[in-house]
Amino acid sequence: MQLNTSASVISFAKQLEADSAAFYEKMAEKYPRANEIFLTFSKENSNYVTMIQRAYYGVITDAIEGCFAFSVETDKYGFEKEPAKRPGFAGALNQAIDMEEKLISFYTDAAEQSKAFMADVPRTFLIVARKRKDRRDKLRALVKEI
Amino acid sequence: MAILEAPVKGIIEVKNYVDGGWVESKGEIQDVVNPVNGKVIGRVPISTEEEIDAAVEAAKAAFPDWRRTPPVARARCLFRLKELLEANFEELSRVQTQEHGKTIDESRGETRRGIENVEVACGIPTLMQGYNSEDIASGIDEYLIPTPLGVFGIIGPFNFPFMIPLWSAPYAVATGNCVVIKPSSEVPLSQMKIAELVDEAGFPPGVWNVVNGGRTVVNGMLDHPDIEGITFVGSTPTAKNVIYPRCGATGKRVIAQGGASNFMVIMPDCNLRATIPALMTSFFGNAGQRCLAGQNVIVVGDDDRFYKEFVNAVVDTAKKIVIGNGLDEEVQMGPVRDAEKKKKILSYISSGIKEGAKVILDGRGHFKIKGDYPDTCFLGPTIMEYVKPEMKIVTEEIFGPTMGIIRVKTLDEAIRICDDNPFHNADAIFTSSGRTAREFKYRVKSGNVGINVGIVAPMAFFPFSGMRDSFFGILHTQGKEAIRFFTESKVVIERWP
Repeated sequence: MQLNTSASVISFAKQLEADSAAFYEKMAEKYPRANEIFLTFSKENSNYVTMIQRAYYGVITDAIEGCFAFSVETDKYGFEKEPAKRPGFAGALNQAIDMEEKLISFYTDAAEQSKAFMADVPRTFLIVARKRKDRRDKLRALVKEI
Repeated sequence: MAILEAPVKGIIEVKNYVDGGWVESKGEIQDVVNPVNGKVIGRVPISTEEEIDAAVEAAKAAFPDWRRTPPVARARCLFRLKELLEANFEELSRVQTQEHGKTIDESRGETRRGIENVEVACGIPTLMQGYNSEDIASGIDEYLIPTPLGVFGIIGPFNFPFMIPLWSAPYAVATGNCVVIKPSSEVPLSQMKIAELVDEAGFPPGVWNVVNGGRTVVNGMLDHPDIEGITFVGSTPTAKNVIYPRCGATGKRVIAQGGASNFMVIMPDCNLRATIPALMTSFFGNAGQRCLAGQNVIVVGDDDRFYKEFVNAVVDTAKKIVIGNGLDEEVQMGPVRDAEKKKKILSYISSGIKEGAKVILDGRGHFKIKGDYPDTCFLGPTIMEYVKPEMKIVTEEIFGPTMGIIRVKTLDEAIRICDDNPFHNADAIFTSSGRTAREFKYRVKSGNVGINVGIVAPMAFFPFSGMRDSFFGILHTQGKEAIRFFTESKVVIERWP
């Protein structure tokens, strides 16, 4: 499905964050040895939602090209919501890394599409993408530790 | 994606807000209809002459104490109002979508713009400062004190039910005046919601009043000797032939903002990727029902390849606009406000065709509505080629989702077309040349000028400008000009022998 309006893309971002938070909560339950880091990730997701909403509600005006601000193909950014697709802790971590890659590409693509129209939203998207890159690196480090 | 929950579930009985209380009107009652589905969502009174008089009386009685209230204390009321508006942001936005039909992005944008005016008015302790000169002659000082005047009437239009009264009201009350607001009877719910929050914010009774109605209320305001001034936003015939002369005849200050027929000038060196979405919002945003909307593009130059590329891009993008219920976040264009307005827009399209324009995208019936809604108030985007500056679709305001395309050879010709038009509200140019942009900005006689911006909407700290048949008055709404409008300059010369 293609999303063009600011409202629909913000809602989509919120949904991705909620799904990702739920994923990490399940990971925390399933792998108690890393539950602290997974619960931290989950909490961070709600901070990202706050940041995104604040940026959107702060800059949305009737003069912004809200109706054609984006061209987001949602299918590109789907991910497995259950951390049971691959066997073992390493498999689950790699699944999380794949999810982070999807989210990084969503935020980067969406920021690129809308940068000419509403500066604060793409800037926030890029901040979230950067934080997720840090998270991906942490996950990769965990894989190496196994 | 799901449709957002509608905050108005039943039928709201709209009342007047006078002297800090909700008052039932004895006037006739009209339905408030959601244009998306034709459902009645409210019932609004058409108030009587006695009722507008009572509101003015309450405002007049509240004025002396409110004027004596220190500006910093008045600002605190506005700060509380701002907080309440933020806390209710989403509900206020959805109410606008329900009563007007605009998309949720547009409603949120309107809410933000309205709140920004409250924020600016919060700076009244500094905004209202006067100035002075010591020793204009030996031992004599002179100073200027901006002084509030009394009661102001604020008359709102249907296209921005939340925002437009807030171009005036926060500044009027911040400067120590009292207001009587008359919202459009088609869309009275937003101002009712604001009045609820004004009440909660603790404004003293009588400072902020809302009287619903039609001509009787407007006439009552215009003729009332205790109303010092009027701000009006609506059609040019009303602004020009009713509001402006009647205010003159009764000695009132006036800001009368009228209609528009705006041009978007397209230079062949423009960045098409950024220009097309800007044009979509300009022409089809709010279903074309705004005085800053583009009505015609003027494509400059004899580069046929660019012209074709531009026209194809515009048509292809406009075809993709999702039409439907504004509470559906994927929808990009809602209905027009009512069937009468749709009929008027259709008649303009017919007139354009009769005068020689060619429809290349027909929004009269060849469009799809997302969801199961009657097409009573819906239109698709219409694009017409071979438009000439003398056609009615250029010289009159359409106020609908239409785009006419005029082709000229030079920028000079484009500027001449802009300047020969009776309206001068907002014209814009799309170009990558700073020199061309400056030339346009410098020469075009328009109140609001856009450079690579399709909706030239001034922020709250700038005046909402307009010229010729788009504006009648001297000072404008918003920002410092509003402060000036709502105050008189009292000059004091002081000597203590």
